[in-house]
Amino acid sequence: MSTVRQYELVYIVPPDSTEDQLADVHKQVAVVVERFGGTIEKSEPWGRRRLAYEINHHREGTYVLDVINGPGALTAELDRRLRTIDLVIRHMVVRVDEELAIADRSKSRRKEATSRRRVRRGLPPEPTETELNRRQEENDDMDGVMESGFRGGRDRD
Amino acid sequence: MGDYEKESRGGRSGGKDKKDDKSGKRTFFRRRRVCKFCVEKIDYIGYKDVKLLSPFIPERGKIQPRRISGVCATHQRALQTAIKRARQIALIPYTTD
Repeated sequence: MSTVRQYELVYIVPPDSTEDQLADVHKQVAVVVERFGGTIEKSEPWGRRRLAYEINHHREGTYVLDVINGPGALTAELDRRLRTIDLVIRHMVVRVDEELAIADRSKSRRKEATSRRRVRRGLPPEPTETELNRRQEENDDMDGVMESGFRGGRDRD
Repeated sequence: MGDYEKESRGGRSGGKDKKDDKSGKRTFFRRRRVCKFCVEKIDYIGYKDVKLLSPFIPERGKIQPRRISGVCATHQRALQTAIKRARQIALIPYTTD
């Protein structure tokens, strides 16, 4: 069937809404997800937060984040459904699997390069504890950061 | 800024006295701005991390151009999408006045 992708859904409900109302919204999301054969990987309530700008005369909101695995058709339906729920004052669905994969790849590539470099210099592939501590101290010193950056970024652009 | 760089690069490959001239000019030190995300090795610029994004949003709420912040092109692009997403869910203002 269609490929499974990972999405993040963030929605905001008014801060004065009850637990039951929140559970109800969550259930409605779950129903849509289930219908398209997706799964909710995790649901993370952020709690009450100040909004950066007023939405429907609300200055605060309760945020909920859902990480959803499912096909692409799911998002359209989810979007449509959430728009009709009056309680949800703002929502957003974004695809995250590609970005996370890229981040992972660059992380592992960097790790590999570091270990290769270290082995060539006759060091163990992983930085030892003392080295890590020393690096921490260097980073506390602002000039150290700037200096190393100066060398690193000189020939760019 | 760009012109200055080009000149200094030309000076490096050019005649000797010209090079000296340039190095004389270089005595006033210009600190090279550097991409924060490259230096700190941040791979993923997420929209949920307001603390990470906020240094790139000056008072008015606009996205800081990279000629000021020194962020590299790749990361500026990622930063831009992250900021725009954060705006949508009211983590960051579109404008402030």
